[in-house]
Amino acid sequence: MTALMDQDQPLLRVSSVTKYYDLMIGCRNVSFDLWPGEVLGIVGESGSGKSTLLNCLSTRLEPNSGAIEYNTRASGLVDLFTMSEAERRMLMRTDWGFVHQNPRDGLRMGVSAGANIGERMMAVGARVYGDIRESAAHWLGRVEFDIDRMDHLPSTFSGGMQQRVQIARNLAVNPRLIFMDEPTGGLDVSVQARLLDLLRELVGDLGLSAIVVTHDLAVARLLSHRLMVMRNGEVVESGLTDQVLDDPQHPYTQLLVSSILQV
Amino acid sequence: MNDFSLNIENLSKSFTIHAQGGLRLPVLKSFDLDVASGECIALVGPSGAGKSTLLRCIYANYLADSGRIALNNHGEVVDIRTAAPREVLKLRQHVIGYVSQFLRVIPRVPTVQVVAEPLRDRNIPADEATARAEKLLARLNVPEKLWQIPPATFSGGEQQRVNIARGFIYDFPLLLLDEPTASLDRANGSVVIELINEARERGAAIIGIFHDEDVRAEVATRLVEVQPLQAAA
Repeated sequence: MTALMDQDQPLLRVSSVTKYYDLMIGCRNVSFDLWPGEVLGIVGESGSGKSTLLNCLSTRLEPNSGAIEYNTRASGLVDLFTMSEAERRMLMRTDWGFVHQNPRDGLRMGVSAGANIGERMMAVGARVYGDIRESAAHWLGRVEFDIDRMDHLPSTFSGGMQQRVQIARNLAVNPRLIFMDEPTGGLDVSVQARLLDLLRELVGDLGLSAIVVTHDLAVARLLSHRLMVMRNGEVVESGLTDQVLDDPQHPYTQLLVSSILQV
Repeated sequence: MNDFSLNIENLSKSFTIHAQGGLRLPVLKSFDLDVASGECIALVGPSGAGKSTLLRCIYANYLADSGRIALNNHGEVVDIRTAAPREVLKLRQHVIGYVSQFLRVIPRVPTVQVVAEPLRDRNIPADEATARAEKLLARLNVPEKLWQIPPATFSGGEQQRVNIARGFIYDFPLLLLDEPTASLDRANGSVVIELINEARERGAAIIGIFHDEDVRAEVATRLVEVQPLQAAA
């Protein structure tokens, strides 16, 4: 994996984040730092709280307690939930990306692939049509999308192609942090392998930080530097990805690792 | 290069198998080892004594229970056992090379890129990294027609040579070699012996497991015994 940047401040600092749904636990007491250039994998079975955590981190959900600080370009570490709604939305547009498992959740299905990307760029101030189009083509090229189809609607694309467009849409504003929720979840293995390789390469080349939620340990091994294992809303183990997978300490992690089917 | 050393003190490692009611399998106990640059240590001992486990602890692939794995790189000392993941990743990029028995790679990445990756990670331009990877693959007699093919379908010996090329493409100050010649014929084995000796002569510290006694005799500057714990007790 590509060079981690040498910087002495974390990009994201998460302290004791807890989220309840009525009386049900979403996630409890989660803390970690994410450093620039680092990819953090979050694994665990359905209902373990990994998506709740991701939604809290990306401010789609407000935690009941705890703090999530983000290292803003302008004023360093700032608690996301003390920012105004407008500031937060600006941050989401300029600094962050979110890749959904289902491309339909991250794309506008009624406009072309090119427009899906152009729209994100216009949201951060791009105005010249020629530049926008050129840049959209550039990002579609980076995700190995057939440029001849950039004026077609996403509904005419395969799942793998839609996912490429969604990734390009997220990269076009040069984000610093990308959240990914099962990014290769619904795809054929052959498409998945190519897309994983592509994601890994892009994250490395662009020096992005990323938080990837997946239930697939193989995906976590390929993409992430560091791993957190969640169960019943809590982090039961965390560490270097290959260490957690090759020498799991917690009973639940051992069970997860020993349950992988071998090909 | 002279101010590089690895000092392992009082290292213990056991495995706890929770599915077996918390069965505890001790593998290493109070293990000590000092390695300096220019040395090639051959670990000896029966199968299951913990030789590979020791290498994996040094690479931080396994988490040791207690003790210290102090890596002194030009005065900067890091305890690998307790280092944060990002520190360990930095060490793997710049300091520690590891040739494991099995190749683990990303599906669909061509061999030449698998080998060049340690250089690409260090921001060496693609064409230079590729040229160096090709040179090393040629030296290890990996047929040129295989270079653009992902190594997943290669024979055991071919995969092992890809792994070796990956470990030797960059001049790591510390090299961990787990049976680097196990599936190789004599001719390819002697290329690996040359590579190991060249690395040692340029000042690398090397710790390896070499079951072939002839290979061991040609590369090792010192033998260190790893005893199975039952026998030692």
